[in-house]
Amino acid sequence: MGRLIGRSIRRLIGDEEIDRVLSREDEILPSSGFAVSVMDAVRREAAAPPPIPFPWKRALPGLVVAGFALALVLIAIVVAIARRASTTPQFSMTLPSVMPPIFHGGIESAAIWTALALLVAFVSVKFSMRLASGRG
Amino acid sequence: MQPRVTAPCLTIEAGSRVSARDDQTDVERVLAGDISAFEGIVRRWQGPLINLAYRFCHDRGRAEELAQEAFLRAYRALGQWRKDAVFSTWLFALATNLYRSELRRIPARTASVSLDDIAEPADARASDGGLEDHDRDLAVRRAVGALPAKYREALMLFYFHDMDVTTAARSLGLPEGTLKARLFRGREILRSKLPQRLAVPRLKEA
Repeated sequence: MGRLIGRSIRRLIGDEEIDRVLSREDEILPSSGFAVSVMDAVRREAAAPPPIPFPWKRALPGLVVAGFALALVLIAIVVAIARRASTTPQFSMTLPSVMPPIFHGGIESAAIWTALALLVAFVSVKFSMRLASGRG
Repeated sequence: MQPRVTAPCLTIEAGSRVSARDDQTDVERVLAGDISAFEGIVRRWQGPLINLAYRFCHDRGRAEELAQEAFLRAYRALGQWRKDAVFSTWLFALATNLYRSELRRIPARTASVSLDDIAEPADARASDGGLEDHDRDLAVRRAVGALPAKYREALMLFYFHDMDVTTAARSLGLPEGTLKARLFRGREILRSKLPQRLAVPRLKEA
């Protein structure tokens, strides 16, 4: 009991000391030109043109195309995985019959994908050139 | 310019009572397009904001840079101040947040000391029943500087705001209970690292 009281007293004294030391900190005064310097920065900030908002309207077609391309890639990955699984004996899936013809392997499929990629690239380039020339 | 020893928190407390209405008026004028009204805010709060930054970095030049950035951010975000808290509380919270993130990004250049490196003297009661005040204060401040950031910041803000838990908690964006727990733990660590210095009653003051 005595030890507990002793510890409490020690803690109180410790807190008192910490309070005393840390309440008394050095204070610095601002430089004479500080407020002027801040106001200069504020005026520069106010004079600067407002930030250009992101051109969502112009970017929408590109985003739609990108989303479509991403969806195609995901479908292709899923089909590839399904096809690989169907080659193993325990998963004899017949996915190819329900998928569009472009997903049937071979040269035809590769050609279609290549053509599609070229088309997307062409549209992207044309679109970005239109934007850059300010005719969008 | 040499630092002078005063109690900045008293200035803040008095200032916050006096200037709450001025702050609100100036904010309304700035939001209405009168940029020059922001100067009133800068002049009222430059001292406290610089001193708060100084406690974080202990570098006068950097403290002014940080305070300037805090004022700029306050200017940009002035419209976001909801008047449910006084302007100064909002300003201190914004500044504290900035100072903490900036100090995490570029730590203060003061030599960092490990808590284990802060050794007790062989005989802490060597002269007139205790160490000299200066040594004791220095040891406590060094120990606070070596605390983990969350305890150090809790202690720093608590004493900066004149031991006002509510304001310190708001500045740090913490619940009061969390702040109290951090203060308790921070003091516990200090006591464990500086047992003789902090537990000896100073007879000469009695």
